[in-house]
Amino acid sequence: MIQFKKVSKSFGTIKALEEVSFEVGKGEFVYITGPSGAGKTTLLKLILREYQPDSGEIVLEGVDITKLSDEQIPEYRQKIGVVFQDFKVLPERTVRENVEVSLAVIGVAQEAWSARVGQVLKLVGLAERADLFPNQLSGGEIQRVSLARALVVNPKIILADEPTGNLDWETADSMMELFEKINKEGKTIIMATHNKVIVDKFKKRVIKLKGGKNVGKEKVHELEKEPKKEENEKGEGKMKVKVEEV
Amino acid sequence: MNIHFKTAFDYIKRAPFQALSAISVLTLTFFVSTMVAVLAYSSGNLLKYFETRPQVIAFLKNEVTPQDVSALQNKLTADERVKEVRYVSKEEALNIYKEATSDNPLLSELVSPSIFPASLEFSLANLSYAEDIIAQVKKESIVDQVGFTASLGGESTLQDVVSRLKTITLYVRIGGMVLVGMLGAVSFLVLIVIIGMRMATRKGEIEILDLIGATPKFIRSPIVIEALIYSFAGVLLGWAISFLFWLYVTPNIVAYFGEIPVLPKGTWDFLILLVIILGAELLIGSLLALLGSMLAVSRAKRTR
Ligand SMILES: Nc1ncnc2c1ncn2[C@@H]1O[C@H](COP(=O)(O)OP(=O)(O)O)[C@@H](O)[C@H]1O
Ligand SMILES: [Mg+2]
Repeated sequence: MIQFKKVSKSFGTIKALEEVSFEVGKGEFVYITGPSGAGKTTLLKLILREYQPDSGEIVLEGVDITKLSDEQIPEYRQKIGVVFQDFKVLPERTVRENVEVSLAVIGVAQEAWSARVGQVLKLVGLAERADLFPNQLSGGEIQRVSLARALVVNPKIILADEPTGNLDWETADSMMELFEKINKEGKTIIMATHNKVIVDKFKKRVIKLKGGKNVGKEKVHELEKEPKKEENEKGEGKMKVKVEEV
Repeated sequence: MNIHFKTAFDYIKRAPFQALSAISVLTLTFFVSTMVAVLAYSSGNLLKYFETRPQVIAFLKNEVTPQDVSALQNKLTADERVKEVRYVSKEEALNIYKEATSDNPLLSELVSPSIFPASLEFSLANLSYAEDIIAQVKKESIVDQVGFTASLGGESTLQDVVSRLKTITLYVRIGGMVLVGMLGAVSFLVLIVIIGMRMATRKGEIEILDLIGATPKFIRSPIVIEALIYSFAGVLLGWAISFLFWLYVTPNIVAYFGEIPVLPKGTWDFLILLVIILGAELLIGSLLALLGSMLAVSRAKRTR
């Protein structure tokens, strides 16, 4: 369904991604893992066409999306559901309105909103909180608003950027169960995470990034250790690329 | 309610003073515009009334044939010094007399159509031609007498009045246009500033909408709608205030000018005039709003 072919992206001297290649099949659930700064978010943003790669091809259902024109981008994005790392919910709209906006964007008639919104809010467990504003919700609940908004448009692919990042383990677990349920309904899910516990518990295929390179596809139990300290200390400076065969 | 309208109203509610300032400056603009439009219209009418008053009347002999009359009428019309040639038949002459003496039925009953000769009335492009033309018309075989009505009493001639009116009308129009233009520019600026502020407060929302696949049109719609709401509110309020004003002063104006039709005679006609002005203002208002919001939106895009 999605193919990355030697995709590179740098920001000035920072090489966020370097010749990354992988493939995700239809209906698959994969993790993009790697330490902070490995390029996970950049990878997802490339799929969403928020960034353009410097080189390489990103093919989605046979279409090289790097070649889409500006006018084609909105329609392309409407096919993708995104759970953003920073939620990106609209703070001045209620839970229900946040989800409705998604439907409005893809041009669903207003009569059909109520049923569809009700259904996803029930699925993510926010039915009773439909009329609350984001600042009245807990972190996990806001995360689920973001998920509800992604799901309501019935997208082919769901991109999730550290959807369990700010959650306690219990809430994170229930969030993951939700994702598994959605995946069983046939949706392709690409989830960026550095949460080893999650990756260990909910076993999926892993695409591992390290310093901007993908270092192979491994099974969960073979996952390498958490980011090394020296790498984190380098911060935003030039990342030394380490390829570790595990 | 449509989601874009709802968003627009939400933003108006959240920043009532911005809305208030936009609406008040637009109201002022369209109030003045309506006043100026009516003034320009009535000063034009006043000018036209004096311009088209006959200055020379050629009374025709009793036995003239219509062919003779139209021959002379054509000849006069072709003459560049002569304007607004009009044939007044005997019956029309009688009616005019009757109307003029309507206070005194006795006078009007005394006469029969036959005493009133038919006539050709016309005005002159310039009064200096008067002597020549009168002499020339007098020689026409079908003309009985020639009357010259240019003197309005006192020392002012019709020509003086017309040229003074022309100057006044010109000033009213130029002054009005400058005033309306300046107010229009100020409203436009205020509109752009307020839309710009709206774009700034909506920045986060716009980015999110963009990422979930909203088209530029979708993102723009509430902003354009908001600008249109301001302009329509301004047009309707400004026009309504002006309308009330004219409603209040019209009887006095009509009484003052008497037979001179500075304002449309019937209430109905006057209403039509005001409705036409309203239509034009709504059109201009929507253009202002569309242009202003497009400009603000495209500027915001460039700075993103
Ligand atoms: N818009 C940007 N401008 C400059 N540098 C960026 C930008 N986005 C990401 N980077 C850099 O690219 C690298 C990868 O970032 P990111 O994809 O966010 O990593 P991750 O999500 O895996 O933590 C980091 O070094 C980050 O500083
Ligand atoms: Mg990230």
